[in-house]
Amino acid sequence: MQRRSGRSDGVRKVASGHSGVGVSQVPVAEGKSVQQTVELLARRLEALGADKQGTFGVDCETYHTAAALGTQGQTGKLMYVMHNSEYPLSCFALFENGPCLVADANFDTLMVKLKGFFQNAKANKIESRGTRYQYCDFLVKLGTVTMGPSARGISVEVEYCPCVIANDCWNLLMEFMQSFMGSHAPGIPSVFSTKHDSAYSPGDTMVQYMELFNKIRKQQQVPVAGIR
Amino acid sequence: MEAPPVTMMPVTGGTINMMEYLLQGSVLDQSLESLLHRLRGLCDNMEPETFLDHEMVFLLKGQQASPFVLRARRSMDKSGMPWHLRYLGQPEIGDKNRHALVRNCVDIATSDNLTDFLVEMGFRMDHEFVAKGHVFRKGIMKIVVYKIFRILMPGNTESIEPLSLSYLVELNVVAPAGQDIVSDDMRNFAEQLKPLVHLEKIDPKRLM
Repeated sequence: MQRRSGRSDGVRKVASGHSGVGVSQVPVAEGKSVQQTVELLARRLEALGADKQGTFGVDCETYHTAAALGTQGQTGKLMYVMHNSEYPLSCFALFENGPCLVADANFDTLMVKLKGFFQNAKANKIESRGTRYQYCDFLVKLGTVTMGPSARGISVEVEYCPCVIANDCWNLLMEFMQSFMGSHAPGIPSVFSTKHDSAYSPGDTMVQYMELFNKIRKQQQVPVAGIR
Repeated sequence: MEAPPVTMMPVTGGTINMMEYLLQGSVLDQSLESLLHRLRGLCDNMEPETFLDHEMVFLLKGQQASPFVLRARRSMDKSGMPWHLRYLGQPEIGDKNRHALVRNCVDIATSDNLTDFLVEMGFRMDHEFVAKGHVFRKGIMKIVVYKIFRILMPGNTESIEPLSLSYLVELNVVAPAGQDIVSDDMRNFAEQLKPLVHLEKIDPKRLM
């Protein structure tokens, strides 16, 4: 299928692979089991007929209001600043259950200037990196989610390129995901329910990644067994 | 608390600290046309460009003495343009021979939910105004001649009144830190606008 350049964004669904089940079943060094699951999903996609098309990366940094801001009444808020290789010149800044700002890459420079007010919790930086696959009108991104040196889970992002109205193609996305994810295919994401018939946008993808990363961060980290 | 002087900051992650070099002056309403006429002659040959912008200035107060200031600007007459978020640092204390005001600046294009986002971050709007005028360019220099309007009711940009009987004239360049030769070029250009307008380095602190 010919790739359209400068495409407007199709609808994306970001799902979490069940790395919890995979890791717990295999008492080996953590990294290897996540990798095996990723390889399994990759082989399934290739068996369907998907073609590899380069790599992708999504990362998320966490900022929290510094103690200095206590008097503002805004204590305890977390702000996420994210990047997506699909949009290399952009930066996404969001609050959980709050607005998602799309800005150009200079936003990162601004956060440096704001370091007296917003502290970067560097240990919380989380990212997903992996391969892009194209299958007809679908674009699948299969990524290993890492925090620092440790692999913490798997993300699967599926995009249906021709459609921009989320609710019109959710069923099709579900069916496609089931064909290679089986019972691990997810339920309808919360961003879809608020979209109704409005057009999908890159910010919606980033909200889904943020929710996925938050879920993975809370999952218990796999104890390193040290046995192969 | 402002960031430390830019010349002391390391270049991190490939980002370059950009500086704004600025000269300012003003002309009375009745002298506007002759100034525009001269600028059309001196500046780059391009379609005359007018603008109508709405700017909101936001402050973030912390325990530090001075609040952090951000400026959010949107076009009122051109649809589809991104919003413009701007940070301006304190003017650098340079030698007296430097001809222009120099301060660190960060310019960011954003989506149109900028004001909601700034409020979520803890910023509060301090003041707002409408700016209407003309833009000219000469190489990397930008010359803006505009009138500031006071907004009579907050959030209502339909009902505005001029702040003064004059137009503000600004000559500015945004360039990487350390390019002081820029201010020499600016001074030379400013000479050509005399006596219609006198552009000078005006330190905002000295006005207060």
